Amino acid sequence: MPAYAHPDVLVSTDWVAEHLTDPAVRIVESDEDRALYTQGHIPGAVEIDWAVDLQNQVERDYIDRAAFERLCVERGISNDTTVVFYGDKNNWWACYAFWVFKLYGHKDCRIMNGGRKRWELDGRPWSNERVSVPRGHYAAQEQDASIRALRDEVLKHQKAGKQLLDVRSPEEYRGERMHMPDYPNEGAIRGGHIPGAVNVPWPMNCNDDGTFKSPKELEKLYVKELKMKRRSPTIAYCRIGERSSLTWFVLTYLLGFGNVKNYDGSWLEWGNCVRVPVVKGAEPGGPSAPAAPAPAMHA
Amino acid sequence: MESVQTRLDTLIGEFAGLDAREKLELLVDFANGLPPLPPEFAARKAVEDRRVHECQTPVYLWTEVDAGAARLVAEVAPEAPTVKGFVAILAEAINGRPAADIAAVSDDILERMGLAEVLGILRTRGLRAIVARVKRGFADRTAGG
Repeated sequence: MPAYAHPDVLVSTDWVAEHLTDPAVRIVESDEDRALYTQGHIPGAVEIDWAVDLQNQVERDYIDRAAFERLCVERGISNDTTVVFYGDKNNWWACYAFWVFKLYGHKDCRIMNGGRKRWELDGRPWSNERVSVPRGHYAAQEQDASIRALRDEVLKHQKAGKQLLDVRSPEEYRGERMHMPDYPNEGAIRGGHIPGAVNVPWPMNCNDDGTFKSPKELEKLYVKELKMKRRSPTIAYCRIGERSSLTWFVLTYLLGFGNVKNYDGSWLEWGNCVRVPVVKGAEPGGPSAPAAPAPAMHA
Repeated sequence: MESVQTRLDTLIGEFAGLDAREKLELLVDFANGLPPLPPEFAARKAVEDRRVHECQTPVYLWTEVDAGAARLVAEVAPEAPTVKGFVAILAEAINGRPAADIAAVSDDILERMGLAEVLGILRTRGLRAIVARVKRGFADRTAGG
């Protein structure tokens, strides 16, 4: 049986249940609907909200290093804490939070396989009690540029014909809609995808119970069928970099790809940029250069 | 009888002065209080297009008017307590009160509840869509539709 490349980053609900009061472990819930945490969370778990806690509220960016340090201190996380993320929607936001923790160099991050759904299916208890934790001590590193792609790099990557993954729904990829089915349009002016990007909608990584697909199934999808190469640089994107955090996690930790970046600007940036190439329709298209000599990225 | 706006102002007032955690707890209380979909609406759900397509999670709304009295009936998926709580607040403000009041309901409900800071910008768009949908639904009904 093939195994995940880095099996240590996935923990089971059993493991979490056994470590609820372990002072070396902090359980963190990250949800699409943050009232879910209020309604009921894993006993002792703290909440980190993607929109309010992890995003800079003025510029479109993540919180800066000092704010990340403050967040960790408040949530009882120190540099040597084992941080286990879980959440709703197949751990989509849990992977987003995991990625931000890796961006600032946190060493021991894990995902509880299956998230809220698996915890619920296992019949385990929820708590709506307020959680207070002892303050942590934290010194974050500079942002790790090896996991984050900004737009100029994506443009170069695209022109060079390197591996690009679009993890949005097929309708978004083809340019028929500019937002997820049933989600509001958050303001992309153009629809379609980055030329050369292959469409692998993010739910293909997960089973119905919220757990990740088996190593064999993931290997079949990305390596055998799509012929993606583990050593080649890969960039994943979606709408605002949330769904692609999950795919980034799968490629990096479950399949052992060596060089994967998340383009967090994603379609909400690309679909609004002036003179960047866009392909509509089901075909990936090639790494065609835009008509103009130099794209005006700062227009 | 107090107007929809007056009742809504009272409900919004319950959020005043609460911290983020307390606001979410109050929202969850409202969510838990939203009654299940009445059986006659469960049957209609299968044949009528009542889904709010702008909203992230399955939300079904009916804007009913009987002898001038408004009734907002809703079903919201349990995985979306924020939306559920918000819809429950609207239903409590609207139900049994004059449908003609609803067009004049202020559009700054989320700001006055202080939910924009608690939920972030992107999340509040779906809630704004619900307010718009409810107002339009009752406007259609009271215009003789």
